[in-house]
Amino acid sequence: MGGLGATTAVAFASWGALELMVPPGTADEWHKSVCRFCGTGCTVRVGMTDGQVVDVRGHEAGHNKGVICVKGSMLPALTRIEDRLTTPMIRRNGELQPASWDEALDLVAERFAEIRDNHGPDALAYYGSGQLLTEETYTANKLFKGGLGSNNVDGNPRLCMASAAAGYVSVFGKDEPPGSYADIDYADFIFIFGANPVECHPPLWEHVQRRRASHRDTFVVCVDPRVSPTARDSDLHLPVIPGTDLLLLNAMAQVIIEDDLVDHEFLNKHVLFRDQTGFIEFDRFKELISEYTPENVAGRLGIGADVIRHVAHRFATANAATSLWTMGANQRTQGTAINIMLNSLHLLTGQICRPGATPFSVTGQPNACGGVRDTGSLSHLLPAGRAVANPQHRAEVEERWGLPQGRISPNPGFHAVELFRAMEDGRVKGALIMCTNPAQSMPDSDRYAAAMQNCFTVVSEIVADSETAKAADVLLPAALWVEKEGVMGQGERRYQIVEKLMEPPGEARSDLWILTELAERLGYGDLISARTPEDVWDEWRKFSADTVYNFEGMTYERLRKEPGLQWPCPDEDHPGTVRRFVEGDDPFVPEGAGIKFYGHPEGKARITFCPYVPSPEQLSNEFPLYLTTGRVLEQWHTGTMTGRIKELNGAAGPAVFTISPIDARARGVSSGDLIVVTSAFGEVEGRARIDKDMRPGLLFAAFYDAKMLVNKVVADHVDPVSREPEYKVTAAQFRKAGV
Amino acid sequence: MEVSDVFRLGAGVFSLVGVGLCVALWLVRLEKMSAERKINLGITTISGIAFFKLLALVALFAVPAATVGVANYHTVVGVHDVDSCNLCHVMTPMITDMRDPHSETLAARHYRHGWIPKDQCYECHSDYGLAGDMRAKMEGYRHLARYTTGTYSEPIEYRGVFSNSNCLKCHSDTPAFRAVSSHVTVAALLKDNTMSCLNCHGAAHPTREQRTPGSPDYDRLMGGAE
Repeated sequence: MGGLGATTAVAFASWGALELMVPPGTADEWHKSVCRFCGTGCTVRVGMTDGQVVDVRGHEAGHNKGVICVKGSMLPALTRIEDRLTTPMIRRNGELQPASWDEALDLVAERFAEIRDNHGPDALAYYGSGQLLTEETYTANKLFKGGLGSNNVDGNPRLCMASAAAGYVSVFGKDEPPGSYADIDYADFIFIFGANPVECHPPLWEHVQRRRASHRDTFVVCVDPRVSPTARDSDLHLPVIPGTDLLLLNAMAQVIIEDDLVDHEFLNKHVLFRDQTGFIEFDRFKELISEYTPENVAGRLGIGADVIRHVAHRFATANAATSLWTMGANQRTQGTAINIMLNSLHLLTGQICRPGATPFSVTGQPNACGGVRDTGSLSHLLPAGRAVANPQHRAEVEERWGLPQGRISPNPGFHAVELFRAMEDGRVKGALIMCTNPAQSMPDSDRYAAAMQNCFTVVSEIVADSETAKAADVLLPAALWVEKEGVMGQGERRYQIVEKLMEPPGEARSDLWILTELAERLGYGDLISARTPEDVWDEWRKFSADTVYNFEGMTYERLRKEPGLQWPCPDEDHPGTVRRFVEGDDPFVPEGAGIKFYGHPEGKARITFCPYVPSPEQLSNEFPLYLTTGRVLEQWHTGTMTGRIKELNGAAGPAVFTISPIDARARGVSSGDLIVVTSAFGEVEGRARIDKDMRPGLLFAAFYDAKMLVNKVVADHVDPVSREPEYKVTAAQFRKAGV
Repeated sequence: MEVSDVFRLGAGVFSLVGVGLCVALWLVRLEKMSAERKINLGITTISGIAFFKLLALVALFAVPAATVGVANYHTVVGVHDVDSCNLCHVMTPMITDMRDPHSETLAARHYRHGWIPKDQCYECHSDYGLAGDMRAKMEGYRHLARYTTGTYSEPIEYRGVFSNSNCLKCHSDTPAFRAVSSHVTVAALLKDNTMSCLNCHGAAHPTREQRTPGSPDYDRLMGGAE
């Protein structure tokens, strides 16, 4: 018995010792949050030790299934970047000098009030960001449109997804995608159009790869003028000539109709057709599209007619087709038309409203959808899908905000490009710029950076040396990511909360705090009565309740527990809506309807015939090449955050111009040579990198590097509907520097 | 016959031999033993006392030691196989998923492509070298203790830090790995496990939610109906 007891004791003692020997995790405590970078909106777990972020992992319960990218993996380093702005600064005698918050905010309020009183409210503007938290953007929108009386509320989402929003509104009557990332799990045809998810949305590409790995018959097509990493890894790459890809979509529609691949039952029940003048019959649409035969467009597209026909057939006959697109479709003078046609291909073939079949515009920033599109914080919008130009919509918003009737100006404000032109010519005299870097991100950027010098410019920033901060008259230190609390809404209508986990450095404050303090000083304290993130959220949540954006069921309490919820979500028991317009999923689809596109009064979606119009950027002897821009894996946007993280900087290196061997040889350029790239908008110097896969006649550069600011030469033509600039197509030339 | 089966058989044979020798010892009549009595062993001749001592040495020490050794070797090496892990039902979801030809998890993809030909669980969950084996065994003992005493709850959760060395030992020298520039710049973070390979390359196993009893996937992962 003694031996047995001793043996048992040894066994338990060993076990106890082993329990104690399990190594501690990499952090003391873990919190659910959202990645700060791109529009994928990955759910993350943030590991904290001693009040510092020490580790970040993908959250397995998130839509991203535990996957994040190298940028997200470096989020701990983001909280420790050097050169954070820690005190307000006021420009005195040409130099930014430290000031107190009271000095800075009093000055801003005084100057804004003076401009409003002397030049009218339209001389004031707000330029925001798809990176601010929803509560912040909602408050800024309310302050400017409802308080100051200026609809000059715009922001960088105009530069990235305005065409997508305009496309969805045209087709479905309401903005935002009908489907979800989860549709990738069911698709057997994935149509990647003007997007490079391998670098720009890696967790989404991982999603695609998982689908391909588990279902070998999944077919991936990539439409991109460049042999991007995504094109390289796709099953079929269509290297269209820049600026021509609406021809491809129209030709696919023509083939689908001509070869009778149309889902007639779906069209009869759920779709109406239009041209530029009004509703038309299907036969008229067929007639209009008939000129876009593959043979007619193949020469201009630069791909073969048989390939167009093949892709159209595969799209239409797939069990489930999902389209994913980003800036290659949006940043175009025909961006809205391209978006309409991408959605329309799904409607023509019935590839929508079922698992795996959806048209999905992937967005670029973590809160462009929830923060800006949904809150209506663009110059022509009001919250929850309302329009400034609509008197009833204005009246509804005035009532909810407790404003006298007629308080909101009936005139849409300036869209982004026009807003900076207005700064340039003095129509706008005072501007508040928050959480964005337009001096680097605007097309024709030198021109608009200079425009800011003509205006009283207030910039809320995390660092003092961004291109935009350099133009500030007043620079306000902003909190970043988990230094503040609020909600972000990404591309699949999913809202997620970012909880405050640490204090911002020095005197930095949240943008919400800055806005509420400014509102108080401007005399709008009663209007901006919600002062905490949760109070603002509750106001906005209840605002949404009688709209088809209804997310009243998303309380902070729920958002803290769950890895995000997709709206509509009308009550606290609702699980959220994975597929919009589908009975049983979307609460706004009545019983028995099956599918209902309730955004339009007819309850049907609309396919509008969109004729191809060539880009204003046409090749010439002077500018015989196309310049197109994009991002790289390890850097994000203008690099104010990722450019300060050595692991990311080291991996990406300085920005370069990627050129073809043929163009390089013709100009005597070798890899590493300094070249001068010119366009009608200016010139910029940078190093060349010869890529053997680059098509002749094409130049590519990413815009993260302020030392090689490619946007100096990028065209600023805008789409006539969405007003989004044409970043992707600029006629250009290059030469070896010094020649 | 697998190697582990040979060891199981060997341990059984040794045990039987040991029992037989002990019985033989029990039957020896000590009074008949004397230094003078000689016993011819074929290769040499020894005294009765010496023979008794030799028999006792073999029966009481050598055979038990060999039995324990062989059995322990089985415990240490024989349990490397996947089925050994699957003996505990909490591991079944991982193994069902790994063998699912349509699963998207890292484990399933490695299994499906034959990237790890055998002992798949052990290959990824034992760190490099002898120390890694030791740690894995200690963890195995801890798991066994938890399992047999019922001091766990489903879904089980990984404790500690999964070492990236388990990924890097195969991947770090491949051209595909070296072609990704950020692998080089984050090498130090991967080495000290402050950044996980799984961040970018996906979940290795079904999620906790899927492995929670009552979830829509639970029965399937436990080997039940699809």
